[in-house]
Amino acid sequence: MPRDAAARALPRPRLGPPPAPRVPEAQRFTLDNGLRVVAVERPGLPQVVLRLMLPTGSGGDPAGRAGTAALTAQLLGEGTATRPAAALHAALDGLGAAFSAQATHDGSEVEMRLLAETLDAGLSLLAELLCEPAFPPGELERVRAELLDALEARLDDPANVADDRLMREVFGPEHPYGRLSIGTPDAVAMIARDELAGFHARHYRPAGAVLVAAGSVPPATLLRSLERSFAGWLGEAAAPALPPVPAHAPGAGRCVELPWPDAAQAELRLGGLGMERSSRDWVPGIVANYLLGGSTITGRLGRLLREEKGWTYGVRSGFSAGRQPGGWVVETAVEAEAAEAALEATLAEIERLCREPVGDDELQRARDALVLSLPRAFETPGRIVSRFATIESYGLAPDYWQRFAGEIAAVDAAAVQEMANRYFRAAGLARVLVR
Amino acid sequence: MQPRLDPLRIASQTHTLANGLRVVAHYDASAPSVAVHLMYHAGSREEHPGRTGLAHLLEHLMFEGSLHAPKGEFDDLLERVGGSNNGSTWLDRTNYFETVPAHAVELALWLERERMAHFLPVLSEEMLELQRGVVLNERLQSCESRPYGLADERLYASLFPAAHPYSWPTIGYRADLEAITLADVRAFYEQFYTPRNAVLVLAGDLRPERAFALAERYFGDLPAGPPPSRLDGVAAPHARTRPLSMQDHVSFPRWYRATAVPRFGSPEWAALDVLSYVLADGESSRLQRALVRDGQLAQDADTWLFPTELHGVFGIVATARSGVEPARIAAAVERTLAELREQGATEEEVAGAVRRARRDQLAALDELEERAEELALAATLLGDAERLNEQLDLYRRVTPDELQRVAREYLAEGSGATLTVLPGEEVVADAA
Repeated sequence: MPRDAAARALPRPRLGPPPAPRVPEAQRFTLDNGLRVVAVERPGLPQVVLRLMLPTGSGGDPAGRAGTAALTAQLLGEGTATRPAAALHAALDGLGAAFSAQATHDGSEVEMRLLAETLDAGLSLLAELLCEPAFPPGELERVRAELLDALEARLDDPANVADDRLMREVFGPEHPYGRLSIGTPDAVAMIARDELAGFHARHYRPAGAVLVAAGSVPPATLLRSLERSFAGWLGEAAAPALPPVPAHAPGAGRCVELPWPDAAQAELRLGGLGMERSSRDWVPGIVANYLLGGSTITGRLGRLLREEKGWTYGVRSGFSAGRQPGGWVVETAVEAEAAEAALEATLAEIERLCREPVGDDELQRARDALVLSLPRAFETPGRIVSRFATIESYGLAPDYWQRFAGEIAAVDAAAVQEMANRYFRAAGLARVLVR
Repeated sequence: MQPRLDPLRIASQTHTLANGLRVVAHYDASAPSVAVHLMYHAGSREEHPGRTGLAHLLEHLMFEGSLHAPKGEFDDLLERVGGSNNGSTWLDRTNYFETVPAHAVELALWLERERMAHFLPVLSEEMLELQRGVVLNERLQSCESRPYGLADERLYASLFPAAHPYSWPTIGYRADLEAITLADVRAFYEQFYTPRNAVLVLAGDLRPERAFALAERYFGDLPAGPPPSRLDGVAAPHARTRPLSMQDHVSFPRWYRATAVPRFGSPEWAALDVLSYVLADGESSRLQRALVRDGQLAQDADTWLFPTELHGVFGIVATARSGVEPARIAAAVERTLAELREQGATEEEVAGAVRRARRDQLAALDELEERAEELALAATLLGDAERLNEQLDLYRRVTPDELQRVAREYLAEGSGATLTVLPGEEVVADAA
């Protein structure tokens, strides 16, 4: 007997009230050298995640030297005044630590993941490689060569080609947001060791930097350990302001087609200027975006392009956070023959969101999804660090996450329509099609 | 030898319903969330040549609605309560999972019941055609249009003989995806998507007694289903193969090496995993030094180890630096492996690798959803969720001798399959 005949229908369960969102509380300290510390105790498995954020990234690359911030970050782990690279790596790997460093457009970041039992030794290594990197010439040449290869390899992927071109269409070739933070081949080839040391000396300083940590270690213990390890690090981090982004996306309204031999799929992007992360538009903006393409299956674009038409495996849209106004992008890969139809359908959905107020039910779903999923956003030490790093990077209120649910709940249909008209309008969007 | 690390324990209780559904409860109230994880012991290895991709296509169809939760409702209802959901298909298993705020656990269970009990009445040609299109696009996006995206399927088609169910890719070959019929989908579902062939894990802010009571309410009345018929014996993987190469639209050659090793949960498992860390995790690891840092032959080097049931798979991959012949990478990898076989690793190296493995285990287990998946995998492939703890414990005792022994046994010179991807014109054709 088939199962469906055997099984009775159970009524859909009626649910009780949702649990109150719990956002962890952070403790904030400032060390004597000016380094600010945000610490969240997260009892559970014995580990600690730390992210140290310096206020300058590729936006501070000297003229003609795109990639300086990125190379500086990459060289941090390549040897210190007292330890050659091999000894440094043996020490880090012996602790079981994971270490990585990178530059974004807005800042430089060093992240470390430690077993709780190795906290003191791990922090002491972190301080050493942050404060006294040696930039050994041999390691620099190897890392430079690897980076040049990586810059070439990433263009093998049509998705990267589309992403890179869209950023240029939105921010122009001059603004740092219009370029990759890892630099350009021409510039990376030129950067001298002294320029890295100079970037480090100017920007890797405790005053103006923030360290965010979450894990099983009590904040007081972490603070004691940090004070021991970082006491000798001194000075103020220079943080030059980024140039303003253009008032209008230079590629707005046009479609750039880039040929890709034998493409079975087209990489399609639409994008325009968004807002700075600290903007009052951010919260209503992410609700509007969620409705359109922030939710990849149930958003209007996913429902149409994937679930109704079957043209794509996925489509999403999103704002990128920035100190300056970041971008807003729709991205998808569709069957090559469906590219024009998908582009038109996307623009039609955007137009509908701009023209018609969203219905109560659809709006309520979006607000509930964003609010009730908050516990997951703080579930692990890594995610807790990311959430509080957002507050610190963009100068948001310390209780931003405590107030977040209330702010989402206050977004109404008029605000959604206003955001759609301000950020999603077709006239302000550049299009890129790689196929 | 003294264990190197404190024990790591993920406590769980198991209760089996009368219809054979095994229910695993793991209590953790640190966040007001519950992870619901339903794992069916069926993956692409249950497929037959000519119908590859069936298990994964069925996974897609399972999100398209059921008798009392029509199309669109599955995601819609879960989103309204702040839940996330997804599914995945692999060689041995298919899983469906939701993480929901604690008040909504019954909704997730009801939706899983719906598609375990009331899926077939809504299954239609129209649904199949639509999701076939989505999956063909997924294959394009994640394999055919990605640099190196077809390498894995060539590699496994070389390592395993054609009759071996690990020889084909879970996503399926294009021609097979185009050939799958409604009858194929129905037969697979009826055979494998049954209480007796599933494990349900409830992890998070939910007491075990209540977890078991809810499982009984939502699944207890369903018939057990037929005993799943599995292949009786499978052809052995090739001990060695002719080196393969293929062309792709890439700028740099990439070299792959894969060997079949003992299955997930075997006594050697932890040593094999620690070996993968000694080889490629961390800048001081053997292959990072030999290939990337000192050798300057490769841009990157990595290893992987599949926690799979019929065999494990141990893989090594590296991408050439500009102007480097891939044969030099192959030679350097073989030299590195020979050193490990002959001289073994030091106690410090092994201790560091064990700590790095622990670091990654902690990072994974910290997320409720992953913890639920690990428990489900232990219950599905090892017969008991508790065996997760036994597996975690093995890492604390791995010795340099053991590491050397598994390197000798399973990474002998020229063993397994190798594949070189070379820059050139991509040839997209099914390997079968």
